[in-house]
Amino acid sequence: MRWGMVIDLKRCIGCYGCQLACKAEHGTPPGVYYARVLKQEDGEYPTVRQLSLPVLCNHCEDPPCVAACPTGASFKWEDGIVEIDQDLCVGCRSCMMACPYTNRYFNEQPQHYFPQGATPFEQARTERHQQNVVMKCNFCRDRVRAGKPPACVANCPTVARVFGDLDDPTSEVSRLIKERAGFTLHPELGTGPSVYYLPQ
Amino acid sequence: MNVFSPRQFQTPARDDVWVPSSCSICYGTCSILAHRVDGVVVKIEGNPDSAVGKGRLCGKGVSGIMTHYDPNRLRYPMRRTNPKKGLYQDPGWKRISWEEALDEIAEVLRKVRADDPRKLVVQRTTTVTASRVPFHAFASAFGTPNFSVSGGGQHCGNGAHLISGIMHASWSVVPDFDYCNYAIFFGASKGHSAGHASCSNMGKAADARVRGMKMVVVDPLCNFAAAKATEWVPLRVGTDAALALGMCNVIVNDLGSYDGPYLQAKTNAPYLIGEDKLYVRHAESGKPLVWDLRLNGPRPYDAVAAADMALEGDFMVGEKPCRPAFQCLREHLRKFTPEWAERVSGIPAATVRRLGTEFATEARVGSTIVVDGVTLPYRPVAAIAFRGAQGHRNSVYNFYAVDLLNQLVGAADVVGGCLGFNPTSHGHPDTGRVSYVPSAGPDGLMVVGSWMGYHYPYPPPPPRLPKNLGLQDLFVIGMTSPFLDSVDSEELWTKFEVPYRPEVMINFGANLVMSIANKDAVAESLSRYKFIVSFDLCLTETSNFADILLPDCGYLQSLDSRSNFPFIFSLPGGLGEWCWPIRQPVLPADGEQRQFAEVLLELADRVGFRADLNAAYNAWLDLQPPYRLTGDERYSYENICDRELKNNFGAERGLDWFKSNGVIKWKKKPQEVYWRPFVDVRVPVYWEFLKPIGDKIAAIAAPRGLNVPLEYYDPLPDFLPCRSHCCDKPGFDFYGFYYRDVVHTNSFTMENPWLDEAAQLDPFSYAIAMNRAEARKRGFSDGQMVWVESETGRKVKGRLKLTEGIHPEGLGFAAMCGHWTDGQPIAKGKGVFYNDLLELDWEHASPVNINLDLCVKVRVMAAESAS
Amino acid sequence: MSDVNAKYARLIQDLRRDFRPQREWGEGRGVFLVVGHFLVGIAAGAWLFGLLFAYPPGLIAAFLLAGAGGIAHLLFLGRPERFWRMARQVKTAWVARGFVGLTLFLAGAVLYLPPLVSSAWLWTDHSAIAWIGWLMAAAGMVVMIGYMGFVYTASKGIPFWNSTLHPVLYMAYALRGGAAALLVAMAVRGAPSQEMLGRLTTIWIAVTAVVMVLFVLEIQGALSGGNAAARRSVREMLAGRVAVYFYGGTLVLGLLVPLALVSGRIAPLSLEVLAAIGLFSALGDFFMKYTTIRAGIYLPLGLHQARVR
Repeated sequence: MRWGMVIDLKRCIGCYGCQLACKAEHGTPPGVYYARVLKQEDGEYPTVRQLSLPVLCNHCEDPPCVAACPTGASFKWEDGIVEIDQDLCVGCRSCMMACPYTNRYFNEQPQHYFPQGATPFEQARTERHQQNVVMKCNFCRDRVRAGKPPACVANCPTVARVFGDLDDPTSEVSRLIKERAGFTLHPELGTGPSVYYLPQ
Repeated sequence: MNVFSPRQFQTPARDDVWVPSSCSICYGTCSILAHRVDGVVVKIEGNPDSAVGKGRLCGKGVSGIMTHYDPNRLRYPMRRTNPKKGLYQDPGWKRISWEEALDEIAEVLRKVRADDPRKLVVQRTTTVTASRVPFHAFASAFGTPNFSVSGGGQHCGNGAHLISGIMHASWSVVPDFDYCNYAIFFGASKGHSAGHASCSNMGKAADARVRGMKMVVVDPLCNFAAAKATEWVPLRVGTDAALALGMCNVIVNDLGSYDGPYLQAKTNAPYLIGEDKLYVRHAESGKPLVWDLRLNGPRPYDAVAAADMALEGDFMVGEKPCRPAFQCLREHLRKFTPEWAERVSGIPAATVRRLGTEFATEARVGSTIVVDGVTLPYRPVAAIAFRGAQGHRNSVYNFYAVDLLNQLVGAADVVGGCLGFNPTSHGHPDTGRVSYVPSAGPDGLMVVGSWMGYHYPYPPPPPRLPKNLGLQDLFVIGMTSPFLDSVDSEELWTKFEVPYRPEVMINFGANLVMSIANKDAVAESLSRYKFIVSFDLCLTETSNFADILLPDCGYLQSLDSRSNFPFIFSLPGGLGEWCWPIRQPVLPADGEQRQFAEVLLELADRVGFRADLNAAYNAWLDLQPPYRLTGDERYSYENICDRELKNNFGAERGLDWFKSNGVIKWKKKPQEVYWRPFVDVRVPVYWEFLKPIGDKIAAIAAPRGLNVPLEYYDPLPDFLPCRSHCCDKPGFDFYGFYYRDVVHTNSFTMENPWLDEAAQLDPFSYAIAMNRAEARKRGFSDGQMVWVESETGRKVKGRLKLTEGIHPEGLGFAAMCGHWTDGQPIAKGKGVFYNDLLELDWEHASPVNINLDLCVKVRVMAAESAS
Repeated sequence: MSDVNAKYARLIQDLRRDFRPQREWGEGRGVFLVVGHFLVGIAAGAWLFGLLFAYPPGLIAAFLLAGAGGIAHLLFLGRPERFWRMARQVKTAWVARGFVGLTLFLAGAVLYLPPLVSSAWLWTDHSAIAWIGWLMAAAGMVVMIGYMGFVYTASKGIPFWNSTLHPVLYMAYALRGGAAALLVAMAVRGAPSQEMLGRLTTIWIAVTAVVMVLFVLEIQGALSGGNAAARRSVREMLAGRVAVYFYGGTLVLGLLVPLALVSGRIAPLSLEVLAAIGLFSALGDFFMKYTTIRAGIYLPLGLHQARVR
């Protein structure tokens, strides 16, 4: 069992649905985005493509962040999800340097968006996060264990994101990777990401 | 999933419910499930039960939480204490009670109604679809025809929607994503950004993309639809008609691959046209004549088999020489050579030729397909246009020319072609209700079965000396008018002897100081009102002109029985399911917020026209006994909602049923979606009706000193330049234009901090896009602050984003940003206020449909860094 | 705008960039990490030279520097109250190894040093406790000299730091810093002999030369390697955000001034001048680490190499 995700760049239109559904699901504070959408441009006028590239923690098979963490706060579950136990984190941020995908955030931001202070939503959700520790995507492990896909996958209006077991050759994610030549980011680093992209 | 009920506000032991309702961050109105835990909404997700969104939401939809919980929201009614009104005048807001507020408003309305009810202007934002009926009912019961939808109407309503109504009996058009193989988008991003049926269309468009549908996007900017296009065709701003007409010419005159049988049976192409450009009519019945090839003589159109009608030739009817409309069209198209199109639009002639050829070839004229056991015409091409293409002085011809492509190959409301959004419905299988179907109107041309506004797009009413402040009863092709607020409105009202002036405005949520054109023109207009009431969520720039502000309930606190109806508006088109969702409160009102629909009912009670309002509701909702409202009984809005639902879906499916179930749905039939073969209506490929309307308008206008350029009323489309195309001031070498952003709606969402943050991270959202090579030539660098100045001296300031993805002459502004109100601290100072460059007068509106001309010729100069 | 809000505004700007600088280590509270690394490195070198030259003030200096370095690390951490957890992951994490090394060193020094200073201590300098202390401190010292560079090479997110020369360079820093610390200690507490001073000075010159060569090699490697982020880092250092610290701190203060002094041309090589050489050299080491850390640019994410505009 190895949880993984496939993101179809042909389908994605960069609507920020995943980025913001994740923020709503986890109540992340300002500046912290477990899932993000990068926009990149390719080509020269008039032959131009605009690419929307959704990124998130890759839950690597050989995660450099887990190796770099001195306290074991960053660890890998048996099902492949890489998570941070906020109680163990000392905030040394070595993992942030170790991650080649810049998918980790140090929580010392302001904890509310409006100048007047925290909204009821932020009191209910944002304030659950510890401060001065590192935070990141955990493939919505609570949802996954309840049988639901991660929030970003469930929400995507173009159905660009699929979640499933990479170890199962009959799963939709395995099938898509095979049929559409799925690739990972920075494969030369040998991290073994569990997030695959389908070409646009 | 727990069930929500009104009793839920008496806190039960543990509050953890998912409530089905409808989003309202844009007019897409996707269905939602709002998760409330212990009295706090902690998540908004799509409702997988609903066809609207199919369980998914864009970034705006999921962010609704932060719009709801904005601490800057209004919570109490307020009255201004500073009588002076101006853009930067502090109104001196004082909190008042609802009793005081409604007393004063009712007093004002009573006086106006007794004096001349037309002095009331009712205005609403297009964002809340469900506000349509309550405000229209109120206005018609009160007795005023003066209705506006602010910028939303003047930037796209008059063009895209009106013409989609005439040609496709719907509010908008979209490719049949399920079957289309070749779609060409002109200034549109359907399925790649916000808008009608946005999230559903996003899914459908993605499916089409993966299936291999080819998408050509004609747009000065490469973003959204163009970003995913198989081919991006950049063009000079505002010249879409040139490409479309060039392609039509290639199809008709070079290739000859048009759909003759479709044109004969389903359009007015065979109608005979005289030298006066009008139909040649049957002497007795007055019906337009066609040339019957079998009998070799003229006969009324409805007396001849379609296959026998001539499309070409020169004929004589009595003494009159005449020819079929198609012949006129064919000759007319000859001058639109690909070389001509290149000169106008900048698109290479070879590309024009190729696109026309591809479109005609992929159309597979004459073929059929079987869908769900029904054999239907199959034309897997679609040409669609939307806001970008029609937001110009030449609004009508731009859109009409694009749709002509569909009509020529028969790809209109058939499988794979250009579809209106749900022009036909057979109704719910149990009740047969809300069924509607287009019908044949005057001269056999199509009349819509369902519409959103006062008068149907066709037939246009006869022009008259106007009594409406917007002059729409003179300019009858238009819907929403700029003349309520234009700098020449007083001059026009005087010229046309309009016997009254606007005195009172009820505004629902529109921020017209920003949404129409430059702020000074609108500010001037608003300051002349004697009394303005505004329902708002937060203070806006327009609030500065209000006398009384009423704190509105947001969508998470509101009830609406028809959040998504009419189906022509925002229910996904194409095959799938009919779906009727509602909106229901998830949270109680905060402070003294009240729902606008209830306030309107109470005002009607106080002013004393409840009976009229009840009658208006009966008409607008088509309520039948036993659900009809009677007399002047004081029905609550909740009661009216319950009646509407039972009226449409049966006694057991009232409000309670919908509150539990969220939506009702039933399967669409192919005959509903691909309805053209089953209904005998024709659409105009020759807009004969336009000419007499133009003549009548000119007859009224010319003697009163207004010159109406009649070249805009010719029955056949042409490319007529915008003001910007005629500007030759040295140094003014960019065409400024704005475009919709997927992460923002109107001027509304910049205050939402999640959306604002996403926009700050986006390379384009708060920036001005300029072609990189052109920028380098002028010494501009990425991120530089610049001034952008129009030829009339209006200026805005913003940050440059250099890109390869824009036409060299284009300057693209995202969304409607640039707020300055302190009432929206998150929105304040973000982005660029493009509309401030726009003029608001007769010269900058279409003389046909009074849509605004939204492109501007500008020059760009370096500015110091932003403070 | 408050500090927290200013940081947030800058984070937003950073997230928009193709080449995003790392700011966690080296900016704001992150300066303490540089200070900590700097102090710990010198401490290890000072202990080494203190042992080699049998010079107890050097050992005491090393202990104090290490303690200060430990405190600096605590000030850097987000959750310093949990510091003890950093011992857990020695199997994989260089930071954990460094923490254990420092702890071992401090504990060992506490056991070894007191009898050296006071003969009236609870145990003698030849007792088993002292020997155990010596061993612990020596082990800790070895770790402290060796681990730091590996922390950087393990940081796959920052290509500029991934050179194999990095660990060697940091070891050389430790030695250079140690020699410098001893020069200063000798100025304060007196030098045992002129000959020792001379040897120390020679060692300092030799290690400085090694550091210079390694540093230049590392820069050259970053420039000629295929990685755009590494090249960008070099640009930051030589012509960007941290250039002023590089030229002013690393080159002028850390190299030109002590080299000019050690040439003897400016003033005769008195104890005070040698101490000054030590101080400036240490400053230079600090700025070298500071600029290297702050010049770190994250590996860009994207499907193509982002164009440098």
